[in-house]
Amino acid sequence: MATYLEKLRHFRQAFKQHGGMLGSLKQLYWTEELKVGTYVGADKYGNKYYENNLFFVGRNRWIQYAPQYGMDYDGSQIPSDWHRWMHNIGDTPPTAAPLVEHPWLMDHTENQAGTPGAYVGYKTTKPKIEQWVPPQSKTTQS
Amino acid sequence: MLPAAMVNINIVKNVAGIALRLKFRFSSPILPTSILPASSQLLHTQSHSHSDEKWTKEELSLVPCRHQSTEASSPVPRKGYSPFQPSFASNKAEFALARVDDLLNWARKSSLWPMTFGLACCAVEMMHMAAPRYDMDRFGVVFRASPRQSDCIIVAGTLTNKMAPAFRRIYDQMPEPRWVLSMGSCANGGGYYHYAYSVVRGCDRIVPVDIYIPGCPPTAEALLYGILQLQKKIKRMKMVQMWYRK
Repeated sequence: MATYLEKLRHFRQAFKQHGGMLGSLKQLYWTEELKVGTYVGADKYGNKYYENNLFFVGRNRWIQYAPQYGMDYDGSQIPSDWHRWMHNIGDTPPTAAPLVEHPWLMDHTENQAGTPGAYVGYKTTKPKIEQWVPPQSKTTQS
Repeated sequence: MLPAAMVNINIVKNVAGIALRLKFRFSSPILPTSILPASSQLLHTQSHSHSDEKWTKEELSLVPCRHQSTEASSPVPRKGYSPFQPSFASNKAEFALARVDDLLNWARKSSLWPMTFGLACCAVEMMHMAAPRYDMDRFGVVFRASPRQSDCIIVAGTLTNKMAPAFRRIYDQMPEPRWVLSMGSCANGGGYYHYAYSVVRGCDRIVPVDIYIPGCPPTAEALLYGILQLQKKIKRMKMVQMWYRK
């Protein structure tokens, strides 16, 4: 019985944290999940990060994507500093211990696959094998 | 005398209300003070400097705070669901067909049934993806053992010369539209067995491939990400719109 009451309490907290009925429904449509947690920080793109250690490891840290991504959110939109925290490489979020900044560091980009910016590989060496060209008979040439 | 006292009480009430609200705001667990808007922090510091009596006009002015607060609260344009955005006014037919495409793509991408085609160790990672920890079921992805009832095929492992004709036959039996996920180095381009005598150097020599998942073997997470990428690709399909244009 106590566990059910506990679950009900969590649901109520989550319901409250997402701003009542409308906000909760919006959240459910957006992420299909209603979780309550403590706010840890935000990255420079506007993504927000939450933590609740009552969930098991792997589900205890999560991200609330910035509204400009809409339904097209993607795991590659997490920048490297927060990736470290999200994947349990360390327990200190970059708000507590920011990574070293270098002027030559490139800005983070999300996965460009399927867009005009997608990476296309190319070869710089001569191919090691030659492809077999089938001999063409006179009947098929015509 | 009486009205003045009432006014005083009102002022006290207002001040108390503001103080309570501020207290709630600062003590709220989801709002640590470091991420509070700069304006409120500025106000904080100003109230501290009040006792020092070293005010200037610039410090007293609320204009910088106001600018900061308006910048912080400017609304972010939210991206719509559909990747197709033809204008309704100029072409009503295209707008309607874009919505039909959206509906079709949504139905296709939210119940993607892959054909089980585990050939080597990659298949173990494919099983992990099906298991509760990664749980592909939440994206509507369910394994189907018949090619005639599946939408996509996950080539998980080394495709040998002996298996290639069988693979091609299974692919041909799948109904249109069909997609292929090439999983792991061996399926992508031969991988470790690239120079072996009995291995196909990439399953894209047999069938057209939509998504290549790198890794040896790729993690279940990577495979799941590949499936999400395929869903994104399906979301961009414009079958009805192309039919209309032709």
